[in-house]
Amino acid sequence: MKSAPTLSSAFLHPAGQSLPEPLLALRKQRASALVDMPLPTRKTENWKYSSKYLKLADDMAISLPTEGKGGNSLAVPGYKVVFNNGVMIPEASEYPDLDGIIIQSFSDLDEDDAKAVSLQLGSTLDHDQAQFARVNGARFEDGLFIRLLPGAVLDQPLFVIHETTADDSGSAYPRIYVEAGANSQMTLVEEYISSGDASALVNTVTEFNLADGANITSIRLNMEGENVQHIGATGVLQQRSSRFESHCVGFGGPLRRHDLQVRLEGEGAETKLNGVVVTQGKQHYDNHTSIDHVAAHCNSEETYRNIAADQSHAIFNGRIHIHQDAQKSNADMNNKNLLLSNGAEIDTKPELEIYADDVKCAHGATIGQLDETSVFYLVSRGIGRRQANVLLTMAFINELVQQIPVEAVRETAQARLNDFFEQTFQEA
Amino acid sequence: MLSIKNLHASVEGKEILKGINLEIKAGEVHAIMGPNGSGKSTLSQVLAGNDAFEVTSGEVTLNGDNLLDQETEERAREGIFLAFQYPVEIPGVSNLQFLRTAVNAMRKHKGEEEMNAAEFMKLAKEVSKQVDLDPAFLKRGVNEGFSGGEKKRNEIMQALLLQPKLAILDETDSGLDIDALQVVSNGVNALRAEDRAILMVTHYQRLLNHIVPDYVHVLAGGKIVKSGGRELALELEERGYGWLGIKDEDTSN
Repeated sequence: MKSAPTLSSAFLHPAGQSLPEPLLALRKQRASALVDMPLPTRKTENWKYSSKYLKLADDMAISLPTEGKGGNSLAVPGYKVVFNNGVMIPEASEYPDLDGIIIQSFSDLDEDDAKAVSLQLGSTLDHDQAQFARVNGARFEDGLFIRLLPGAVLDQPLFVIHETTADDSGSAYPRIYVEAGANSQMTLVEEYISSGDASALVNTVTEFNLADGANITSIRLNMEGENVQHIGATGVLQQRSSRFESHCVGFGGPLRRHDLQVRLEGEGAETKLNGVVVTQGKQHYDNHTSIDHVAAHCNSEETYRNIAADQSHAIFNGRIHIHQDAQKSNADMNNKNLLLSNGAEIDTKPELEIYADDVKCAHGATIGQLDETSVFYLVSRGIGRRQANVLLTMAFINELVQQIPVEAVRETAQARLNDFFEQTFQEA
Repeated sequence: MLSIKNLHASVEGKEILKGINLEIKAGEVHAIMGPNGSGKSTLSQVLAGNDAFEVTSGEVTLNGDNLLDQETEERAREGIFLAFQYPVEIPGVSNLQFLRTAVNAMRKHKGEEEMNAAEFMKLAKEVSKQVDLDPAFLKRGVNEGFSGGEKKRNEIMQALLLQPKLAILDETDSGLDIDALQVVSNGVNALRAEDRAILMVTHYQRLLNHIVPDYVHVLAGGKIVKSGGRELALELEERGYGWLGIKDEDTSN
């Protein structure tokens, strides 16, 4: 019998040593725990549909060298932090020194803060479900630490541009940790982009730790190129009456995976998760979400839409776990999928585990094609068939795109969607 | 303007139209009446180019051009307009965006400048008043949550915006109360013009009290079995379809 594949030891050796000592120690400890980490196969339940897309050659283990110029040219309507290959580029970053708000790269943390961060990193995630977050924990070269003191409000969105530059094969491990004090507020926009033709692996972890009454909006745009495999995990911990809102827009690639885990630990916490995925060609995208209703009286609302064209493959797995004491939980999960070609594949799976008896929990999933009656209605008004297809495809996700609360992000997403339509629908 | 010669059409292998002949000249209003299942809606759909119906033989020309060779959108650009019996709801596409896209597709086809959002908004508001539709409907999804009457008014609004050569109205009166019928009829009457023809398909003659046709045809079993003037509709109302030797299971109402 062939033995199960394990993570190559090449992946256990980070290059950069410029982190404060407590973080270096943490990384070392995490790396030693990773020896013989099994790699997912099609028999691994949470990688069932995606393991075949995962390609982890040894040359991909090399840390991509950081280039100082990355992301300079990107104008954003807000504050900006630029990372290149997982390392912050201070010269390209623009954000003010604000009262009650600390925005710092991991490398710049002093010994005490680094120690505090090292104790918290990874605490928001279930690593058994997001296995690759462990690899990030052993490999991150830098990261972004954001601390909002109680009551602090960031007045503009903070854009974190994660650019991967791969002139040779390699990997990058972006990491963000947000500690949101009581009643603090911010909007964080993560944009993942890439340049260079070599194949790269981007392995990201973003964590949000929300104290009582904190209100965080997270926007995640995944727009890396055709040679980038992306495995990302986002962990969210929510205390009493906190509110978390997430908008994920993802474009397919050779491998795209995002795990989003939310734990509602304090009563009255609310979470809203929106997601849009479009794939074409032979692209892949896999969203795994998980919401744990641990405390009573919490609300969760989740809406994900996938559009798959050509021979592409999109996956949605939505888990809701309502714990025994989480009475009066209100959970609503909805996933709709649109197949634009006979060769495309979409797999959707709701997973509900309910251990409390007084809860409302609704879920729905559909997979369909463009409605021929609607197409006929549009073309009968002189609208070209191609444009009719575009209008109807856009209509499928428009509601979610319009809900993204930052106009510049909506525009960026729309421009990429237009490219997708351009390539997907040919003129008759 | 429109010439239909010996038109046969099937759906899923079943022949519905069995040799239709009809000539419509510019400026004329024709009504096609007939019992359920006689092929009225099929004729409308075939003229508009719905792929679900297969034309097995016959010929249809619009101003001399072969219509059956053209795609649905080409027919629309050449001036065919079908007011649907059951207008489709399309959430996620605003009515305004839909209407402007359609109007601009027509303008582009005619070599005219496309209208910008502001210009079009002004025009759309005017036309929506003409069919007594609150301009707030422009911002909603296409027909989304519209009542039956609102949907029909939206259809007529589209006809007024697109200014077709031939407007085909498929059961435009169905589901309308008397006030809505009046509004819709006013809209249709506003469409009447010397260079435009109107073809009304209807089960009941009450619409014809409001929109007075020049010719009335009776469709039964996939063929036009009788043609006449306005008085034919009145006679049908009085005597039903039976005297023409047609079975009609649904003449009550």
